[in-house]
Amino acid sequence: MNLRAKFLLTAIAVLLLGALPWFASPTVIQFGIATLLLATLAQGWNIIGGYTGYASFGNSVFFGLGSYGTAIAMVQWQLPFGVGLAFGALLSVLFALVMGLPVLRLRGHYFAIATLALSQVMTAIVSNLEIAGRNTGLVLPLLNGDALFYELSLATLVLATLTIFWISRSRFGFGLIAIRENEDAAASMGINTTLYKVLAFALAGVFSALAGGIHAYWITFIDPVSAFDLSLNVKMIIMTVFGGPGSVLGPVIGAFVLSGISETLSTEVSTVASLFFGIVIVTAVVFMPRGLADLIRRFRDTGWRYFNENVKQHRL
Amino acid sequence: MQLLAQILANGVLLGGLYALMALGLALVWGVLNIVNLAHGAFIMLGAYVGYYLFTLFDMDPFVALPISMAALFCVGYLLQGGVLNLIARSAMFNTLLITFGIDVVLTQLAQILFSADYRTINPSYAGSNFMAFGVTLPWVRVLAFVVALLLTFSMWLFLLHTRLGRGIRATAQNLGAARLYGVAPKSIYAMTFGIGAALAGGAGDLYGVVSQINPYIGATLTAKSFAIAIIGGLESPLGVVVGGIFLGIVESLTALYIGPTFVDVASFGILVLVLVVRPNGLLGSTS
Amino acid sequence: MKRALGFMAFTLATSMSSAFAQETITLGASVQETGALANTGRYYRDSYKFAVEKINERGGVKVGGKTYTLALKILDNQSDSNLSVRQYVQLLTQDKVNFLLGPFASDFALADSSVAEKYQVPMIQGGGASDQIFNRGYKYIFGTLPVASKYFESTIAMMGKLNPAPKTVALLYADDAFDVSVANGTRELLQNAGIKLTLDQRYSSNTSDFSTLISQLKSSNPDAILVSGHETEALNFVRQAKSLNLAPKMYSFTVGVPTADFRKALGKDSNYAFGMTPWVISPTSKDLYFGNAADFAKAYVARFGYDPDYHSASAVADVEAFVKAMEAAGSLDPKKVRDAISQVNFPSLYGTVAFNATGQISLPQTVIQVQNDQVKAIYSQNGMLATPQYPMPPWDKR
Repeated sequence: MNLRAKFLLTAIAVLLLGALPWFASPTVIQFGIATLLLATLAQGWNIIGGYTGYASFGNSVFFGLGSYGTAIAMVQWQLPFGVGLAFGALLSVLFALVMGLPVLRLRGHYFAIATLALSQVMTAIVSNLEIAGRNTGLVLPLLNGDALFYELSLATLVLATLTIFWISRSRFGFGLIAIRENEDAAASMGINTTLYKVLAFALAGVFSALAGGIHAYWITFIDPVSAFDLSLNVKMIIMTVFGGPGSVLGPVIGAFVLSGISETLSTEVSTVASLFFGIVIVTAVVFMPRGLADLIRRFRDTGWRYFNENVKQHRL
Repeated sequence: MQLLAQILANGVLLGGLYALMALGLALVWGVLNIVNLAHGAFIMLGAYVGYYLFTLFDMDPFVALPISMAALFCVGYLLQGGVLNLIARSAMFNTLLITFGIDVVLTQLAQILFSADYRTINPSYAGSNFMAFGVTLPWVRVLAFVVALLLTFSMWLFLLHTRLGRGIRATAQNLGAARLYGVAPKSIYAMTFGIGAALAGGAGDLYGVVSQINPYIGATLTAKSFAIAIIGGLESPLGVVVGGIFLGIVESLTALYIGPTFVDVASFGILVLVLVVRPNGLLGSTS
Repeated sequence: MKRALGFMAFTLATSMSSAFAQETITLGASVQETGALANTGRYYRDSYKFAVEKINERGGVKVGGKTYTLALKILDNQSDSNLSVRQYVQLLTQDKVNFLLGPFASDFALADSSVAEKYQVPMIQGGGASDQIFNRGYKYIFGTLPVASKYFESTIAMMGKLNPAPKTVALLYADDAFDVSVANGTRELLQNAGIKLTLDQRYSSNTSDFSTLISQLKSSNPDAILVSGHETEALNFVRQAKSLNLAPKMYSFTVGVPTADFRKALGKDSNYAFGMTPWVISPTSKDLYFGNAADFAKAYVARFGYDPDYHSASAVADVEAFVKAMEAAGSLDPKKVRDAISQVNFPSLYGTVAFNATGQISLPQTVIQVQNDQVKAIYSQNGMLATPQYPMPPWDKR
């Protein structure tokens, strides 16, 4: 399949998705909103984790800042939703710049743990802030318009995906990939690694914050625990890794597939849904550690041996 | 002054337990380069072992401690040999993901097997205390502190003076070098992970004596353990003890002078600060 | 492409399975069956089930001359409030439930009530007491837990009758919606009663180490300590109070004390703890379906294997309130049923169920105390019911 055909297919898929609110039931629209937002978050993580190779656990902070930016602007200052979204995105960019500079100097697990700690710090700080409603949270005005939230989420996801498409073919993107493959070599090639990393972090932040803002207004209630939920960050990683990190559409597919599984589980088997989800994660990591994209590409040649080979290749 | 002395004593005693919680995490991270997000779940399981031995067989939690550790050693050994080993050479965030998945599975299994009821290990002496220099010291916490120190110290001796211990330390530096000690890397990995889990199990047993147990206590304990391991450093068990006590004191002082809702700001803020201010020292051990 | 097709097929499948002839009335709820709040969530799951069964045994619900059986659809929200919001929408739009029963805990009720309001389908919830839920002017949310800010009202009234009456009080509270509401109300109540507040401290929800707070309490030495938090915190607080030798004249906890778990986990150390409950297990209450509260409690233990507490009773009252309202409205129209709910007034095993203008029940809290491993009702609006064990003896003299 050449690029043009791919592009055309994607465009048709987007149009079909965009038309969904006119014929789908409210449950499906709601599932759609949640999934599109998760896909946007996965794309955000894809920029910093997939392309740049930095396993961030701080993306849920961006989501939380987006949620709180929107909520504070709307509830405390009575500003319109659009301004709130922008404010949330601004907070995220500021956070990415201020915290990114020191934290992005760390590598490997140390970066992961530093961002994990940052998300704990942010939860604790916000639950002490009067303007954020402390730990009791904020209640946003009620808007009865899931179709609007759906289209907004879709638009954000498209924007994020286009950005990643641009990244994947730009100098900037090659720089990020170089950093992922070998940061020291990238630096010696004359890439300003600090600048690139911080930019990638901020870009990830903008999309995550937009998703957070939309989510807050849609759910109408936020508190620190739900806004800075660490398991949301883990979901972003799982979806990206499952779909194929460092690819343009992989994380979106990962988000759609895993959301579908998790939604079906929580409806059908209710109380053991989390247990199954845990098992799905473990199995997926063991048998297809390079994601769905890799599976699809190679399964045709290798067949069921694919899984066996993966295990053979990665075990000690 | 009296209050400050009491608060400092509380902090130190809390720190001893913290150190034991983090010890296994630091060992596994330092040697195997696995950041084990299921560490808190191991602590939780250890607590349940202690709880059931106490409730069903009336066994004293300090007597149950070795059993708790042995049980968790088996859990850790099997998990590493059967699951984690399969992805030992996979990308870094795959190990993060898989330990997260294991954490979810263990937590959910615990809820199914043990129910979400709140449990405590409550021997008759659990609340007794003694006074020293005008400071009230709970017996159980003092004992837990001593046990934590003993375990840490024996860990240290074990790593320095046994064949397996030297093998483990060599593995931390270089996988190939480990073979020189005549231990297969595969078995070193499983042993190390098992020991890490056993230490978590011991910590869990003691945790059940001072606090309450339910299937969901793991997540916060994992986060705490990270903070301690980072602050203390991954190189030596003694560093972890220093980290634990330091964190215990900082938390107690923060609760007193700034307010109890700022405890997490302080402990995780310090964690970030340590990482950022000493990136070279800490980075040295990963590359 | 395949993805889009699959998605469309899914959409069609779900939209076709809608219209059915209705002989049953379905109540829907998303409760915490797993996750951190599962321990209390089960009271709601089991009590909803139990109430629906009993009502069907009694011939179901008669609405406008027609008899319906009552059905129940429960989803597990895994203690995740975002998931619970989505599940309530799903219950309404896909599972087509008629009315909504609530989840446990104020923050969940706060989030989920917006679904009821959005779709204009009434929700009666027995798990959230925070004033925030009812202050938003929502019309479709009703609550059967008493007002959070008045939780300590009866306790403070009782304190005035103790000898010697406590003069200084310390207030500790967790920083979540419910407990902050309690604290705000309690401060006012204490001021009106002329009791001095010597320590007023907010702590993080899920705190497990109270040693600093307890040391502070020891040095400020108040007569009474009022703790508004979660059951796990109450357990940790009592254990650590003992180990640090803190024994005020009395202490009281908003939650935990009435549960069997509390006594089981603490053993003898649970003695002397004061608490409160809007529900006293007494044979004098009248209930159409269960006889009375004592019969209910007996049947509940036999059925589920653990003691019910006020969460259970509150949940049963939610289901019964719907039945009453539907029968009074003579219709299943959500708006008519909503108006009928606001008018209900009936006796139940939980007490008299009637809602005020904001949609919340007003039930007085009965002060209870654990005495010799038993929960005893101590004080209610009508005065002392039993002699409180006061002051609490020091730990080494028990």
